[in-house]
Amino acid sequence: MTLHFELTGANAAVGVASGAAASPRSGRLVLDRSLSSEASAPASTLPSASTLAPAAIALETPTFLKYTRHGLQPHLVREVAAELSDMPACTRVQLEDFLEDDGSACGQHDAGLHNFVFLDRSEVLLLDTLDPTVTRRVGKSTNSFLAIDSEGGTKRLTPEVFAQLVDRLKPDIIIPPADYIEEPLPSLTQGKRISKSVTRSAKWLDESIAKSVYPSAVFAAVMGSHSPELRDISAKKLLARSDVAGYVFNDVSLALPFESKLQLVQHSLAQLDASKPRYMVGASAPDAALRAILGGIDLVDSSYPYAVTEQGFASTYVFGGEGPAGEIAGASAAAAGRLDLWQESMFNDFGPLVEGCSCFTCRSHHRAYIHHLLMTKEMLSTVLLQIHNMHWYQGFFADIRSSLARATLAEDAQRFLERYGPSSEAFGELETLATQESSPTTKIQRKRHAEPL
Amino acid sequence: MTTSDEFDNLTTPLETSTSPALKFDVLAKCSTTKARASKMHLPHYTAHTPMFMPVGTMGSIKGITTKQLEDLDCHVILGNTYHLGSRPGPELLEAAGGLHEFMSWNRGLLTDSGGFQMVSLLRLANITEEGVEFENPHDGKKMMLTPEMSIGLQNAIGADIMMQLDDVVSSLTTGDRVEEAMWRSVRWLDRSIKANKRPTEQNLFPIVQGGLDARLRTLSAHELIKRDSPGYAIGGLSGGEAKDSFWRMVSLSTDILPDNKPRYCMGVGYAEDLVVCSALGVDMYDCVFPTRTARFGNALVRTGSLALKQGRFKNDLGPIDPDCSCPTCKNYTRAYLHTTVTKDTTGCHLITIHNIAYQMRLMRDIRQAIVDDRFPEFIREFMSIRFGKTVPKWIISALQSVNVDLTTVDEKTGYSATPISDDFQKVPNM
Repeated sequence: MTLHFELTGANAAVGVASGAAASPRSGRLVLDRSLSSEASAPASTLPSASTLAPAAIALETPTFLKYTRHGLQPHLVREVAAELSDMPACTRVQLEDFLEDDGSACGQHDAGLHNFVFLDRSEVLLLDTLDPTVTRRVGKSTNSFLAIDSEGGTKRLTPEVFAQLVDRLKPDIIIPPADYIEEPLPSLTQGKRISKSVTRSAKWLDESIAKSVYPSAVFAAVMGSHSPELRDISAKKLLARSDVAGYVFNDVSLALPFESKLQLVQHSLAQLDASKPRYMVGASAPDAALRAILGGIDLVDSSYPYAVTEQGFASTYVFGGEGPAGEIAGASAAAAGRLDLWQESMFNDFGPLVEGCSCFTCRSHHRAYIHHLLMTKEMLSTVLLQIHNMHWYQGFFADIRSSLARATLAEDAQRFLERYGPSSEAFGELETLATQESSPTTKIQRKRHAEPL
Repeated sequence: MTTSDEFDNLTTPLETSTSPALKFDVLAKCSTTKARASKMHLPHYTAHTPMFMPVGTMGSIKGITTKQLEDLDCHVILGNTYHLGSRPGPELLEAAGGLHEFMSWNRGLLTDSGGFQMVSLLRLANITEEGVEFENPHDGKKMMLTPEMSIGLQNAIGADIMMQLDDVVSSLTTGDRVEEAMWRSVRWLDRSIKANKRPTEQNLFPIVQGGLDARLRTLSAHELIKRDSPGYAIGGLSGGEAKDSFWRMVSLSTDILPDNKPRYCMGVGYAEDLVVCSALGVDMYDCVFPTRTARFGNALVRTGSLALKQGRFKNDLGPIDPDCSCPTCKNYTRAYLHTTVTKDTTGCHLITIHNIAYQMRLMRDIRQAIVDDRFPEFIREFMSIRFGKTVPKWIISALQSVNVDLTTVDEKTGYSATPISDDFQKVPNM
């Protein structure tokens, strides 16, 4: 297994050399499995999708990793997800979805996680530990394990168990467990707690890598919370490692505005190897993703479109196009970035979600039907909305990449951010989601907001 | 998934009937039982019978797109008039061009009359000659559903097949009330026929009533066939009555109803009931069971059903059913489904897809067996897998009435069954 990352375009020459860590960049992430010893993967009782696996899979960055629940994009079974085209070939799975109380996962399945969740081998599979849409999830971790709060109580994940699961599940990229801190912390113990988190995370990273045999590429979490000094210590430790292929910034549990979190990330980036890819968790909303990309981030994930779907919204934000705020005069920034399908005016609106949209939902169904499905709590509502919202999200990233290629990203981004106003007003769905029930289940009828926002 | 092709070599109907919006061609008959396999030409689709119709109460089938339903080989699906009448309402459905357009479904649709929901959902229903009087659950006002209103709503929905409003009494009711309801249903049928504004586009099916009383059922069926309707339903059953009474009422009804018209047994969906009723000459079925049980994590298999939440599936690396070709069985293990059923909507979708595929495959198999004239063998094989050596007595009796005796030893397979008294519907043969 090799994971190769190269910067492309104009910034390839200057970006790394000049050490401009915090500037937007385009790149190509290439995963090559042909060098690994996995040809001997044990046979499963089911036919594997592996026959079609290309030797190398390339991802053009900046891009997003597909957010999943139990290995599937929310609401979309495989043949429905197949209605989406041009999606980045990278899926993220969180181990907590499969982790049992006894530390086992996926039963005795030993043909790999690709096979278990029936993901094409043409997809890069990244295994993280925690669900990025859940902010309140870390329990009382100790030196030996990460405690994950879940519906069925607290699950404990030790680096040993993680390493064993990696060998069995054979993900392409792993993010080993790190000692994430959940705020608020008592101020007296804060420095100590952060320091402990940096030490523990480094130890867990060591153990996770040392104890697993399967050659997954490692994305390591950059720790240090909001202490610049401790962030430097964490970054230095990672910089010294040759077995770390990329960096992850997961500060979602910090009680800080996004802009401050991004500053912490950029502080760390200056200390790290600029030739390695960077994934920021919690930067999924369009405005956040754009700010992160401007700040040198290569990868985010698609938890945002899921949050939009859960609210009964259809995305309508536009990255390209002319003019700043004037274009959406009369409508609030929030209203311009999304369509609320709960609204009464949708009742007899036989137009598509977005005029001219080529997604499956807009080609086959109208607003009135989706409004009806929401009002009657039919599960097809979220299926159809998720298709549209993912299609829309994909288009947003394609626009960003072309803008970057044209070297107009700075102006285009400024216009976008002006058009939709300050953060969290137009794109606050993830925050709303985080304050609701943990997940939509067939048992608990999720209360998507009943009144139009 | 392939669309049904069991009639590819059959062109000459054995029985036929033609109505403005329905042509029914019986293409094969079982030489032993009363089973038949037919094509039912509807305004939107040509359905193959015997068929099972999944229930899409509100204009969608639990999280499944209409494209997936086509891939699953669904021919006709059901909508509920009571629910659709309240949301989105007849005006909107008319504006949308009917339910087909509203939900983007190009195949067959059938709507019930709304009467069953009145009685089952609304405890305060009061039935008069005029119609069903009930309290609006939203504002407590007294409202009335008449046969004319039911047809008006169903005309707005625009389904290929509509059902008459009938005076529904529980199948456990006895006495004068049953007879009153039966005669009233006949009078309501005549009002319904008169009220149908789209007789050339929408078929109206009468419903045989009469509770568990053979005399009343017979009277009802004879009265209905005088109306020369495009098809007939057998109603008022599947309400908790003894299965031994159930099958006798079904069989009595199919004996009277014309051979050249479709027969629809309402509310039936358990696999064994579908096999038995098909042997008794029924052509159409509907039931919420396969899709509802999927949401609780239960997958249908030939031995019964698998409760995938149970710990015993945690390490089970086989598919739900190795012989099933649905996307769920082709791609996922029981162990995977165990982790996600009842947790994520996709877990629910995966089981729903399988359960619909299971019902559709069972019906295809039934049709193919009838076409090949080996339906009795099919029945024996089905019952031996479903129940093993002990088969509920009502099934044995019902099949004996159509010349299939499970208690005698089969020459080829050596299989024979002994009757047990339980109705034994849900317990899997493990």
